[in-house]
Amino acid sequence: MHDNPGSTNSRQWWLPQRVPVGHTLSCQLGSLTLAVHHAVGEWQLVSRHVDEAAAPGIPELLLRAGALEDETFERFLYAGASDGLGFTPLLADRSVVIRPRQPVFLPSGQETTMYLSTPVTLRIHLDDPELTLREVPMLALSDTWFGPSTREGELCYSGKTHARHELADVPRRVHRAITPLTIRNAAPTVLPLDKVNLPVPLLSVYGAADGRLWTQGVSLQRGSDSDMAALKIDAAPPADAGKVSLLSGPRQAQSRAGLVRAFSLLFGV
Amino acid sequence: MLDMLPGIFTGERAVDLFRASVLLVLGVLFAALASRLVLRVAGKRLSQHHLQLFRRLAFYIVLALFVASALRELGFSLAVLMGAAGVLTVAIGFASQTSASNLISGLFLIGERPFSVGDIIKIGNTTGEVLSIDALSVKLRTFDNLFVRIPNETLIKSEVTTLTRFAIRRLDLVLGVAYKEDINAVREVLMAVAETNTLCLDEPAPLFIFTGFGDSSLDIQFSVWAKRDSFLPLRNSITAEIKQAFDAAGIEIPFPHRSLYTGEATRPFPITIIAQDSRED
Repeated sequence: MHDNPGSTNSRQWWLPQRVPVGHTLSCQLGSLTLAVHHAVGEWQLVSRHVDEAAAPGIPELLLRAGALEDETFERFLYAGASDGLGFTPLLADRSVVIRPRQPVFLPSGQETTMYLSTPVTLRIHLDDPELTLREVPMLALSDTWFGPSTREGELCYSGKTHARHELADVPRRVHRAITPLTIRNAAPTVLPLDKVNLPVPLLSVYGAADGRLWTQGVSLQRGSDSDMAALKIDAAPPADAGKVSLLSGPRQAQSRAGLVRAFSLLFGV
Repeated sequence: MLDMLPGIFTGERAVDLFRASVLLVLGVLFAALASRLVLRVAGKRLSQHHLQLFRRLAFYIVLALFVASALRELGFSLAVLMGAAGVLTVAIGFASQTSASNLISGLFLIGERPFSVGDIIKIGNTTGEVLSIDALSVKLRTFDNLFVRIPNETLIKSEVTTLTRFAIRRLDLVLGVAYKEDINAVREVLMAVAETNTLCLDEPAPLFIFTGFGDSSLDIQFSVWAKRDSFLPLRNSITAEIKQAFDAAGIEIPFPHRSLYTGEATRPFPITIIAQDSRED
């Protein structure tokens, strides 16, 4: 039944898969339920979302012979002969505004690292030649507006966080990438962390051996005298992640001007 | 008069005609060149509409200069021509008051720029996408795919709403709930609906306003924000979700109630109840 034992229940679900003609690969990747069928001359795709609270913490992939059971699939006509199918996790195409579930404050002179997780988008592609079939968000994110007024600002996605600062407390979720965010408050006043604008289109996704997805660390420093905050994105993946491999690069190139942003543009205060 | 005709074909006249023709051809060439120059110099700095305007302006000014020179070569006196043009302008001005008014309104419209090509605007009862902003009128395509021409004068005089100016929009829902309902519970249900709907923006936060004690209901305004493109999908989805959530929470949306009195303040209608089986007997 399982022609491809490597693809079944592998924690590293982003590794290339082989789906021979007449077979279907069913995947449960966190909150995303996906089934891909390789028919003669075409690929068929169907995806569903399940509630995040009910999403399993480990990926489940199952290759079986037969067609899709769900008839609401999309068809991608493909003349190639390759059986190779790839899943690449990408970060969202807009920044994510993250709000802690409880009010969080950072007193003057303090530094903290919080582990924030943001949902990823799945790019489903064929390998020879490399063709993208579709990009499916693994979790439907709510829109939000981030700016000083309803006229100025930018559209973002919104996310909620428990603002955990112990990695052991961060739950294992397939559909989210973890970003260690280090915030240093050099100003003499308390910094309320009502919301933080995490510029995920500037970040890359790394995959760890244990199946977790990571991004580079981001550090923000609130200066002592100005309203500007320095945003720094680490060049390398975080040390907490262990041995990782790069899965996808940033969606947007980082500009020098983006390194220092108005404080209100990052924290919304 | 007839004596003059052969004069046209004399050598001198032919040279004048030739010069005038060359001037006209050169005029068209230089005018086109000037128009291209405007495109090259200001192409990136101006909007599509302003660029078109300046290009036309450059074209016609250069062409007019060459036409004037060509007429002089042919022996026309410019002073007389200008005088004649002045008289003609007054006459035409009276005759084409409406067009002139639209033309001037068009210039103000271009200067003010309340909207540009591609925007969706609302004038009176007409809502549509702006196809072009011309000298005399603005052309719209309505959502039922009709072509509407609106004179510029109307646009200057009346209220114009540009629906696509800002990235986000607010949807105001007016609701009524029965008098027996707890307003705080209603508020919580509505906020939960807004939170679960992914099209509804978290920020700016949804707005809950108790607008008053109505005839048959407690009146509430519930306002939610959406991305401009998601406005219609949100309007359809959130109303259905509110109805479902109200049904699930047992919150009643009342219909108008009427109480009838016989005229005496406290005495009710005399009603006799006839039992079903006794009537059948």
